[in-house]
Amino acid sequence: MLELQQLTKRFNRKAAIDEISLTLKQGEIVGLLGPNGAGKTTLIRIINRIIEPDSGTIRFKGDLMQQKHLAFIGYLPEERGLYKNMTVEAHAHFLGALRGMTKKDVNTALDYWLNKFDCQSWRKKRIEELSKGMAQKVQFICTVLHEPDLLILDEPFSGFDPVNVELIKQELVEMKAKGKTILISTHNMRSVEEICDRVILINQSKKILEGRVSQLQESLKTGEYAVKFRGTMIAFVNALWTGFELIDKEILGDDRYIARVKMRGDSSFEDLLKVLIGQVKIEAAWEVLPSMHEVFIQAVNNEQKVEA
Amino acid sequence: MRNSWIIAMRELKERIGSRSFILMALFGPIIVLTMTYLLFVLGGKEQQNWKVLIVDPANVMEHKIMANEDPNVKYAFATNYIEIEDFAQNPDYVDYDAMVEINEKILSNKSSFLFYREKPSFNMSVSIRYHVERRLEEVLAEEFTKLSANEFRKIKQPLNLGFRNVYDPTDSSSDLGGWVGMFFGGVIFVFIFLFGMTILRSVSREKSNRIVEVLMATVHPRTLMLGKIVGIGLSALLQFSIWLILIGAGLYFFRESIFIDMYDASNVAAGQASDYNQFVELVFERIQFSSMLTYFMLFFIVGYFFYGAFFAALGAVTGSESDGQQFLLPLIAILIFAMYAGYFVLNNPDSSLSTFYQYLPFTAPVVVMVKLAMGYAPGEGYQLFVSLLILLLSAIGVLIIAGRLYKNGLLQFGHSVRLKTIISWLKMK
Repeated sequence: MLELQQLTKRFNRKAAIDEISLTLKQGEIVGLLGPNGAGKTTLIRIINRIIEPDSGTIRFKGDLMQQKHLAFIGYLPEERGLYKNMTVEAHAHFLGALRGMTKKDVNTALDYWLNKFDCQSWRKKRIEELSKGMAQKVQFICTVLHEPDLLILDEPFSGFDPVNVELIKQELVEMKAKGKTILISTHNMRSVEEICDRVILINQSKKILEGRVSQLQESLKTGEYAVKFRGTMIAFVNALWTGFELIDKEILGDDRYIARVKMRGDSSFEDLLKVLIGQVKIEAAWEVLPSMHEVFIQAVNNEQKVEA
Repeated sequence: MRNSWIIAMRELKERIGSRSFILMALFGPIIVLTMTYLLFVLGGKEQQNWKVLIVDPANVMEHKIMANEDPNVKYAFATNYIEIEDFAQNPDYVDYDAMVEINEKILSNKSSFLFYREKPSFNMSVSIRYHVERRLEEVLAEEFTKLSANEFRKIKQPLNLGFRNVYDPTDSSSDLGGWVGMFFGGVIFVFIFLFGMTILRSVSREKSNRIVEVLMATVHPRTLMLGKIVGIGLSALLQFSIWLILIGAGLYFFRESIFIDMYDASNVAAGQASDYNQFVELVFERIQFSSMLTYFMLFFIVGYFFYGAFFAALGAVTGSESDGQQFLLPLIAILIFAMYAGYFVLNNPDSSLSTFYQYLPFTAPVVVMVKLAMGYAPGEGYQLFVSLLILLLSAIGVLIIAGRLYKNGLLQFGHSVRLKTIISWLKMK
């Protein structure tokens, strides 16, 4: 769907994007992660042809990216903006027309989305009459109105309440099922874990990590396990003896705990379960994988250590 | 091009819906018409009705003055001496607005006085002088010659020495015409300034409410800029058309109702043709509105694109809506200078500096209007087209340069504008 090769962009000799290459396949949701100032927005703007790269190429569906391809892309910038004195409907018609939609198509699509978000009554309202959250929804609708093949969303969840965050997530998953490609730039790591197939991590204008979410978590796991049990902490610790090491515990109340344990020597997960059975009542046990938040922080820290 | 048009239409709709557009469409013509009316009235004939007492103890005029009565002046005669104080205070004379003193010496020294209570209008004084003089001519002819009054008048007529340009012997143009050009040029610049400011505000508003990023991800910045300039330009043209219709209708109404007597044949026949307001004559008779308006439109449109690109670029490079004032000042100074250039050309139409101003794109719209209204000398009409061509090419050049600034400046926020940054954006790809 989208292929970036060796993209570089400098502002006043300082690289904002340094030889970044990446590929987005059809029907996947990719998270673009990175600390503030890493170059995410610059990269997104280059893809949208707002900024020209100094070097490198972009291919869209196999062709070199051109102005005409923008009609197949939906872009939601981080800084949201709409004309305050224009109605929701007028916005849809204006932006739809710029992307080559007919009036009829715009009306059909607008009906669909307003119904979906349960906001038919906003149709004739001016943006200044809407709350900030409502305007955000309108902006989202305007981004997806022309059913773009590639959706680029910069912090799509910021400004939404949890209910609407879930709603947007559902929509994105549905669009993915329809074969749309979605690139999300965000700091919201939980949403990355929940909906992204792959992530690309950028730091200091370079790509430092790329992979499937599960792979990245796997690669950074530390061999920790968690056990949720009912009983006493003394019985639990005694059972561990020398083969295992208690790292952390969480008291849940009603004599229930979650304990995090690390293996010593050749001990395995099965060994752990064996020694515990009969000592405490096990309710659940699982391997602890690092969260994307931890993956993110570790990758950035590693990068900084390498540079130092 | 299609997208530029969509953007232009959105801009046009927004302009037409705005309160300032409607207010300007109404009050602009009202102000122009009021000023025109005042110029007509102040420079023209006031509806004064006078009663004049001719004090003629020697009975020189024999109680006669006009064969046909002037509806605005009524004469009465007195054959006794009346002192000025007496005339001023005696209730018998209160009805008279003025007193003309005629004594026996008038036939030799040809001088007399009129004492008025309120200063007569220019036309009233011309009328009275004309009436008294005509009657005295009859008396003089009878007294000293054997000629009839008409024959005497033929001999007596003063020399009328007209000053004419050797290249324009029919006097089809004049300084007054030049002022009309100045007016048209002024209208161009007022519109360019007002709607240029609209471009500036509209661009910086789009910038500050950040919709510009969505637009730039959809259309090319140059398309965006062109659409904006065209849209606001169309609203300017629409505004101007409304002005034209309202002012045209107003002038027609003036001519048909209020100033109708100025076209009365009897007034002209009575020898007053040169007395009535030159301004009225200028507006209704002298200006060739059709050719003026055609070139006005051409220079208006091209000049608007030329200056509009500057305003758009300025809007794009400002960091916030209030920023960029220091760069607005030179632009205003240039606009004022252009008006001065028009004035200069009005006074020195044939100087080489005038030709330079005519070709300089910054001053061309107003200068060409002045030159056009004053009339091009035969064989010099091509200058107008050369000027238009230079202006057109400059406008295209400025649009290209402004497009680059527009592209590189639009997504820069919160900075203060410096010449250095502008130059670096100009160099940027």
